[in-house]
Amino acid sequence: MKGPDLSVELAGLKLRNPVMPASGCFGFGREYAKYYPLNQLGAVVVKAVTRLPRQGNPTPRVAEVTGGMLNAIGLANPGLEAVLNHELPWLAKQDVPVIVNVAGAAVEEYVEVARSIADSGLAAAIELNVSCPNVKAGGISFGVDPGVLKNLVAEVKQVCRIPLFVKLTPNVTDIRELALAAQAGGADGLSLINTLIGMKIDLNSRRPVLANKIGGLSGPAVKPVAVRMVYETAQVVDIPIIGMGGIATGADAVEFIMAGASAVMVGTANFTNPLACPNIIAEIRDFMLENGIKSLDEIRGCAL
Amino acid sequence: MLLKIKENNQIAQNVWEITLAGQFPYESVQPGQFIMVRIGRGSEHVLRRPISIAAVTEERLTIVLRVVGEGTKWLSKQSVGEQLDVLGPLGRGFPLPPSNAKVLVVGGGIGSPPLYLLSSKLQALTPDLDLVLGFRTKSECFWTDRFSQLGNLVITTDDGSAGRAGNVLDAVEGMLQSGHKWDYVYACGPQPMLRALQQYFSETAVQGYVSLEERMACGVGACYGCVCRTKDDAFSKRICADGPVFDWNEVIL
Ligand SMILES: Cc1cc2nc3c(=O)[nH]c(=O)nc-3n(C[C@H](O)[C@H](O)[C@H](O)COP(=O)(O)OP(=O)(O)OC[C@H]3O[C@@H](n4cnc5c(N)ncnc54)[C@H](O)[C@@H]3O)c2cc1C
Ligand SMILES: Cc1cc2nc3c(=O)[nH]c(=O)nc-3n(C[C@H](O)[C@H](O)[C@H](O)COP(=O)(O)O)c2cc1C
Ligand code: FES
Repeated sequence: MKGPDLSVELAGLKLRNPVMPASGCFGFGREYAKYYPLNQLGAVVVKAVTRLPRQGNPTPRVAEVTGGMLNAIGLANPGLEAVLNHELPWLAKQDVPVIVNVAGAAVEEYVEVARSIADSGLAAAIELNVSCPNVKAGGISFGVDPGVLKNLVAEVKQVCRIPLFVKLTPNVTDIRELALAAQAGGADGLSLINTLIGMKIDLNSRRPVLANKIGGLSGPAVKPVAVRMVYETAQVVDIPIIGMGGIATGADAVEFIMAGASAVMVGTANFTNPLACPNIIAEIRDFMLENGIKSLDEIRGCAL
Repeated sequence: MLLKIKENNQIAQNVWEITLAGQFPYESVQPGQFIMVRIGRGSEHVLRRPISIAAVTEERLTIVLRVVGEGTKWLSKQSVGEQLDVLGPLGRGFPLPPSNAKVLVVGGGIGSPPLYLLSSKLQALTPDLDLVLGFRTKSECFWTDRFSQLGNLVITTDDGSAGRAGNVLDAVEGMLQSGHKWDYVYACGPQPMLRALQQYFSETAVQGYVSLEERMACGVGACYGCVCRTKDDAFSKRICADGPVFDWNEVIL
């Protein structure tokens, strides 16, 4: 008997399966390649890349909370040049599509980084991290104002010859407005959700645990919020959605697919278990076998 | 990897010693390396905790931990026979000195455990190993008998309840004044202690290695959570993957 078909097509990208690591939780792939061959994944998604190297925020910049974690890494990355010269050429040899997460402090920075990555021929797609503070607008994130977001996406789209995914921030009143703005700007797909803003206070020191005071919440604690946002977004957009937020098992992934996601990303779960992604892929396959599902098309958005 | 708890005993105030057995690359462990231990059995705890390898044999691994929060408390309560989910050995350990070098090992409190494994390797290389271990008070001292079998051990406590009163730096200064000389210094402990040693020996030819700590998420180098600044690099180093042991000339403490 032929096994279930886990492959998905995503804005023109053909993926072996719908599971990929989430940006920032997988470095540039080298560390987890020691645990399993990266070509088991649907794609590899790398840490946010900015024009220049960034040290990020002071430490401590990670903390555990019940059912999740907070991070305030601050977009630490080795910068565009190092990524183009050292990381992407290595990834290109791993027989797996590579999605590059791009961040910036101004529209021009996003445009420059996205153009260089797209033109390098070393990436299958770009994922625009629009949770970053817009320096010219007093540090308000690009992802919270529909007009600003649409303009950013449109500018990047002009120079981006490969599929462009826009990764939405959940720290907004109505995710649908932002999803529609990104679609109107020309996004080929959407990824959601990025982290929710949170805080933890240490009772001994009586101070916030993170040096940055606030940080992004991720892990199982955010999953119901993320499923709801994917569901709401799937009701209004025509472009494919990559769902994430607290996925740790195949059942979690299937839940996102039923809410309308075409594919999923796995972040924090990699820290709990380095084999999280391969395990989730196997569990999705088992679920399909047990339920007589031949292709993920049969269940995508079935809860809508 | 799932390792079985063979022993779990309290050895000092708030300090537990856990011995583990099972499939593990014991023979590849370098002194200074650590493991990431999973906490709990559900999805309440998503982050593993880094704990140094304190001792290793062909089929056993020993860790020593101080209970400071939920994770270490949970570990202290696990019974013999229960399994721990462990990743490792992780990180880069202490580079060993040439044989016959004069070596000083300095530990502060719960920074001492990895120095036990280190000292047991050093013992074979150097005839004259000086060890200085500092604790807050007598009830928090552990493994002093085991350490004293590996070299000339000096204990300090802040309140003078055991060994010499004062901190490890006072003891190191005293030893220098009475004619001790070292080619290599190895240290693990609170950052202020490491910084003080780094400064104290900064104008000398003494080669030093320090083991650093930071809150970790992945423990393997993928999240950039646990960084430290270095003097030369534009981009920070990851303590879990590029360390935890660094040449003291390399890092800004
Ligand atoms: C490479 C490395 C090796 C280590 N080896 C050992 C070891 O051999 N034995 C041992 O007992 N501990 C060791 N630690 C420290 C240990 O990882 C922490 O104490 C542990 O993670 C705390 O977990 P928790 O859930 O009990 O505490 P949490 O609930 O996370 O925190 C409780 C309190 O502990 C403090 N704390 C948390 N993490 C750290 C930390 N990394 N360093 C100092 N204080 C912290 C916090 O300020 C907080 O007030 C090591 C850390 C690193 C990075
Ligand atoms: C340590 C850490 C670093 C992250 N870095 C990035 C990043 O660089 N760019 C980005 O778009 N999202 C980043 N994220 C967000 C994740 O990609 C993901 O959207 C979020 O963690 C929710 O998924 P999860 O619950 O599976 O972790 C980061 C998350 C964590 C925990
Ligand atoms: S803990 Fe993730 S890089 Fe060190």
